[in-house]
Amino acid sequence: MEDKDEDAVRGTSVEPTQVETDLSDETQDFRLLSHLNLYARNAAHPLQANANTQSPPSSLTDTSSPGLPKRGEKDFEPNPTQHQADVLSKSREAMHDALAHPRLHNLNTRVIAYYAPDGPAPPPGIDIEDPARFGDKGVGANVHPDSCVYVPNPKGQYFKNMGQSDRWNRVWLLPEEALFLIERGSLDIRWPIEMTAAPEDEGPEELSIPMSLQAAYACFMGRSGLTMERYTVYTGLKRTGYALTRAPGWDDSAQVEGLKDQNQECASQRPLKRGAGLAGILEQLFSWAQDPFSTRSTAAGPVVGCGMHRNYNNIYRQLAVIPWYDPSLAIDRDPLDTTPPFRVVFHAYRPSTPIKKSAWPAPDFRIAVVNTRETAAIPTLAQLGALLESTPLDPPSGEKMKRLVYMRLRHGYRNVVMAVVDQGIVSYLRIADAAFGKEKLYETQAASMGNKRNGNFRGKKR
Amino acid sequence: MADANATSVAQTSPEADPARVNPRPARAPRPPRPNYRLIHRFPLPVNAHPVPPVIPHNPLSILSAALSYLSFLISRPSQEIHSAYFDPATSSIHVTDEKAIRALWEMGFFGKGSLSRSEPSWLEREKKRRGLLGGNTSEEATRRRREERRALKLERARSEKLLIDERLKLEAAARESGSTAPSLGDSVDDTVTTIEKFSVKKAMEAKYQESRLRRSQNGTSVPPADTPESSQSKSVRFSSVVEQKEATSTSTARLQGSSLADADELDIEDILENQEHLQISNEEAFFLVYGLGVLRVFDREQNTVIPTSNLLPLLRRNSYFPPHAEASELNPDDPFMLSYVVYHHFRSLGWVVRSGVKFGTDYLLYNRGPVFSHAEFALIIIPSYNDPYWSETEERREYVTSKQSRSWWWLHCVNRVQAQVKKSLVICYVEVPPPTGPSEDIAALLGQYQVREFLLRRWIPNRTRD
Repeated sequence: MEDKDEDAVRGTSVEPTQVETDLSDETQDFRLLSHLNLYARNAAHPLQANANTQSPPSSLTDTSSPGLPKRGEKDFEPNPTQHQADVLSKSREAMHDALAHPRLHNLNTRVIAYYAPDGPAPPPGIDIEDPARFGDKGVGANVHPDSCVYVPNPKGQYFKNMGQSDRWNRVWLLPEEALFLIERGSLDIRWPIEMTAAPEDEGPEELSIPMSLQAAYACFMGRSGLTMERYTVYTGLKRTGYALTRAPGWDDSAQVEGLKDQNQECASQRPLKRGAGLAGILEQLFSWAQDPFSTRSTAAGPVVGCGMHRNYNNIYRQLAVIPWYDPSLAIDRDPLDTTPPFRVVFHAYRPSTPIKKSAWPAPDFRIAVVNTRETAAIPTLAQLGALLESTPLDPPSGEKMKRLVYMRLRHGYRNVVMAVVDQGIVSYLRIADAAFGKEKLYETQAASMGNKRNGNFRGKKR
Repeated sequence: MADANATSVAQTSPEADPARVNPRPARAPRPPRPNYRLIHRFPLPVNAHPVPPVIPHNPLSILSAALSYLSFLISRPSQEIHSAYFDPATSSIHVTDEKAIRALWEMGFFGKGSLSRSEPSWLEREKKRRGLLGGNTSEEATRRRREERRALKLERARSEKLLIDERLKLEAAARESGSTAPSLGDSVDDTVTTIEKFSVKKAMEAKYQESRLRRSQNGTSVPPADTPESSQSKSVRFSSVVEQKEATSTSTARLQGSSLADADELDIEDILENQEHLQISNEEAFFLVYGLGVLRVFDREQNTVIPTSNLLPLLRRNSYFPPHAEASELNPDDPFMLSYVVYHHFRSLGWVVRSGVKFGTDYLLYNRGPVFSHAEFALIIIPSYNDPYWSETEERREYVTSKQSRSWWWLHCVNRVQAQVKKSLVICYVEVPPPTGPSEDIAALLGQYQVREFLLRRWIPNRTRD
């Protein structure tokens, strides 16, 4: 009975419980790092190897590495042994070594960018006769108007899915992209020359002044809707390997007067009293023939009547009196017809998804970002419903889904990922529009019962 | 009744099979599991009388179908209507009739035993305690499993302590001998990641393997369904260690029981009176009365049947604590209305809906019933006030906000608990209509509400990346 559920709680069932352990939730044990380098370089001493290493700590997450050690068991409380103290100090030492390692920038891979506080503009000295011809400010239609950093000589892998190039082959970066790159140490952003030097000695890049990380934060954070929460989500997913773009709903102030609650009506599934036309009349006749003395009354009950029933499916069908929402009938909403922050702001792509910067494909995930300190309450039905209706219909499909009811229900008809940020801690929630009303469970149950009567029934679970 | 099969077998088998009494001490065969498929073959406590199928090329089948149709038409089979009473002191509904209790539990898993965890099994446990019966109830199985687990944990603590003591001794010795200390430290450190501590799970697994091995050696064929399934699926099974223990303990109990039962069976049967009743939740009661028409709820004081039209307001008023006065107005967002709308919705789709209070949710959804499989979905109910009526005045807006708002911390908390017990969390929003005057039409009232379900689960970027 319900003790079986308790079994699952304690996780002591005989099979190894496959709980959602998220390694990123845990503190890294830095001793593993030294082990890793030990295996990688075959050095005699782990610490030595660590001191020589060139690989950044991010190689820890690289699971393909053959020498990746397994996690040992954790100690949960201190004990007086010297051994435990040793382990702890070793771990600390390894961490310090990893952090103290000098980070060098190779001149060959240096990428220089310039800050353009006024947004995208053509290079100095070039006049555009007809700015309107080339879209925004004459730099090219692809360049996002919120971009504020340009890279004259783009090289390296980062520009595969970041930035947009203009007519002069300069890549324009959005504030979050520039901040991400400068934080990674992959970009050297310079102050604009007009701001730092007299106009006459313009020219060689040696004269321009590099921007510090602090200055970058000061310049880019808060610019064109980039909040700390959005940046945290952006950089977190970016480091995990996803590609991200801004979604149309980025701008919080944009509003569209749309359908409002029209969907409430059109997607509402009211139980039908009778089918249409001749079929409905026949159906009624048939149901009358099944039970001519029905005492069925939905007003005062009993809903199924006190009479005789021919089968359980009919009983269940009669019981359906509660209206429910059918997501497959809802009309798609404009992404702006939603209440911020319950609005898709990022489109995320798996690393395996082929990306063309000029024409982004349909995203793998749609992400809304919520700051718990500003929006302390979870969304109301109106807010959440609008958010989901602004995403395209994604009904369960595939052979496996067709077979498994639970999987179908879990997948839902529309889905969105909500990144809930609480002072820098992000937790992601996938929200799907499940349509329980579309899955008539009693029909599958009746089928399995029928099998049993034939004597060849075998349960799938014990 | 779930164990009725098992108990009858247990009582009769010693006489029927003398071979079992003779000394083959190793293992008595496990008592057969109750046939849940047979016991719970009816999904609702309503009788259905199917017309025999008509096979076109067999004229006899047409005849038999017509005959059965006509016979049902002439002498209608009567539907049993059970009785329950409403207890105003506790705002709850009780069923005391033995037959009704069994019927409501077996067909659709309604209610819970007041002295049991879910299935009313007090009488059986009590009989067993007095040595009258063999077999086992689920409560006892759990108790035994808990004891075993506690023993394993104690064992773990002991072995950990031993390990620490040993290490301390080693270190002390090393300190005395002086120079060898650092080398010891190094060697110990290298092994540290490979050392396996005593783990309860490992111990359970080992025991399980061992018992499996023994079983297959005994020649009892192991059904293929018994093999451990993939870790993804949660199979419903008592740990076989426990089952084995149960089996041995039952056999001894049976031996004692048979001798004891022979002596004073009659006496104890007379003394033992079932102290337990079935308590059904208010939603279940109203569903049985209004939806299925198989229950009558009596007023305890006046001993009269409460008509359906009075039962609904009564239950709505009693969904508050303290219950609202008789004359007070009914709110469209009474907790009873919200929970009943959801209850009825999922029942009408074929789910077995039971309370989810153990997991911090409002309901659990079982496919077919708790004896067959774990609940896959856990459900929380949140009211929604989209109707323009609710945002007309400042006062109403404030009221609505206070009713709707839940914190993110609460949501994460519920969500993490569900992930831990491998259930999917369903947020069920119920659209609340504006208040309307008193109406006799219950279906019209229920039809004003609307249910919308969202499935929530944690998204882990590392997992969905590839």
